[in-house]
Amino acid sequence: MKLKEWVKTLIFYEIMLGMKATLSHLLHYKPITLQYPHEKKSLPSNYRGMLALLRYDDGTEKCVGCDLCEAACPSRVIRVVSAEVPGEPTKRYSKEYYMDMTRCLFCGLCVKACPVDALGMTQEYEWAVYDKRQLHLNKEQLLAIGDRNFPIREKRLEFQHPNVAYFNVGFKELPQKVE
Amino acid sequence: MDTGIRLALTLSQIGVVMGIVLLTVALLTLLERKVLGWMQDRMGPMEVGPYGVLQPVADGLKLFFKEDIIPAGANKFMFSMAPVLSLVPALIGFAVIPFGPDWTIEVGGVAFKPFVITDINIGILYILAFASIGAYGVILGGWSSNSKYSLLGGLRSAAQLISYELNVGLSLVGVLLLSGSLSLVTITNAQEGGFWNWYFFAFPFPQAVAFVVFIISSVAETNRTPFDLPEAESELVAGFFTEYSGMRFAFFFLAEYANMILVSCVATVLFFGGWHAPFAFLQGPESLHWLTGMIWFTIKVYGFLFLFFWLRATLPRLRYDQLMRFGWKVLLPIALGNIVLTSIFAYIFSGN
Repeated sequence: MKLKEWVKTLIFYEIMLGMKATLSHLLHYKPITLQYPHEKKSLPSNYRGMLALLRYDDGTEKCVGCDLCEAACPSRVIRVVSAEVPGEPTKRYSKEYYMDMTRCLFCGLCVKACPVDALGMTQEYEWAVYDKRQLHLNKEQLLAIGDRNFPIREKRLEFQHPNVAYFNVGFKELPQKVE
Repeated sequence: MDTGIRLALTLSQIGVVMGIVLLTVALLTLLERKVLGWMQDRMGPMEVGPYGVLQPVADGLKLFFKEDIIPAGANKFMFSMAPVLSLVPALIGFAVIPFGPDWTIEVGGVAFKPFVITDINIGILYILAFASIGAYGVILGGWSSNSKYSLLGGLRSAAQLISYELNVGLSLVGVLLLSGSLSLVTITNAQEGGFWNWYFFAFPFPQAVAFVVFIISSVAETNRTPFDLPEAESELVAGFFTEYSGMRFAFFFLAEYANMILVSCVATVLFFGGWHAPFAFLQGPESLHWLTGMIWFTIKVYGFLFLFFWLRATLPRLRYDQLMRFGWKVLLPIALGNIVLTSIFAYIFSGN
């Protein structure tokens, strides 16, 4: 046993094993890396990327200014200034809507919290900027992100089937909507 | 007149050899990153040119146009001298390496050897001496930067280079005993005829053990992984050249790779027959020896360079005390034992 160990040391057995491993990787060369800017990884469908505000199919904003997203957000990304819709005292909307994406941790709690599905998570992740003030997004920018990422939109709530609308609002977990 | 011709011939020879060495360095920087990448399931540089083949050009341009910073409190003279002190000895060693057959050509009444710049009779001693001077560049570069990382790197490399130079020198003694000469041309000529005449396998006492000692020591001497203590990235930012930038950094970089090529050439010449083919029929006819000789030399040298990359891809860095213990307590006795055995065998079989 002792002799075997000695012989192994003398012929660099352990080093040979390691060198065999590296050489086998050289001979069976199959890179696992992607040339990133040229080829991109396909994302899973539930990937939580950049946040966006959504619209109905007639172009009106979904957001009703309820502040629930602001309350749900753990890192205080969102700031909502709610107001009455001019001329329609029963309806509210978000007059101003800010997201400070430098703090966002992409947990998706705001999307869960929204009663009218006004928030969505896109597949965008290339949001590196030179000036971090560019990550302080206002309502127009968030709506633009939503517009370019969700081309298929829902009907307004009052034109949807009552049951679907009911589930949309109250029990988002139960039946999945068909887009 | 004769002096003029001799000067012109020698200068052109030096120019050609320097050009080839520097081109090889440029190639090696790419090749190393590629080979390392392939071994680690990566692609290596891919952006500049097709498959990244123009990467050395881009690197060179970048280094050339970078700002040359001299840190505050640095010893300016030594700081500027160190890269030169490190590069010149690395390049100067190629003067005695025979790249091809030992021919002598008459040009304008001047006899000169086309495949070796100068065949001095103390070739190996010359290479070893200049390798030792190269250590000065490293140490002075580390000391003059006025940075603790550089100083630590310089100190480490001082100890390491001195310890391992000894082993390099001692491991070569066996070959010198067998060949009876210090001239690299004579040593190469003594290994003619086939691979069984190479000193790695040679008859009285094969120098395989000495070769292993030499390769390990020369890896340590060129500051390559697993002996890259002087420039251990994870411990000392970049070791002795932490504070260097631009062309001065490029000089250190060139010196490291030129040293790699130099030790590969020395290993080829001393242990693997230099430009001789493993079988005589692979050498071709006498008139083609220059071509086949250079091809075989290149193949062997690149084999050793690949070994360097391979080791780097495989092995982690040694700890400092392991390095010292290995050099003094393992390699040194082996090299000494090899000398004793070689001299006994050389005496018995010398035939007198």
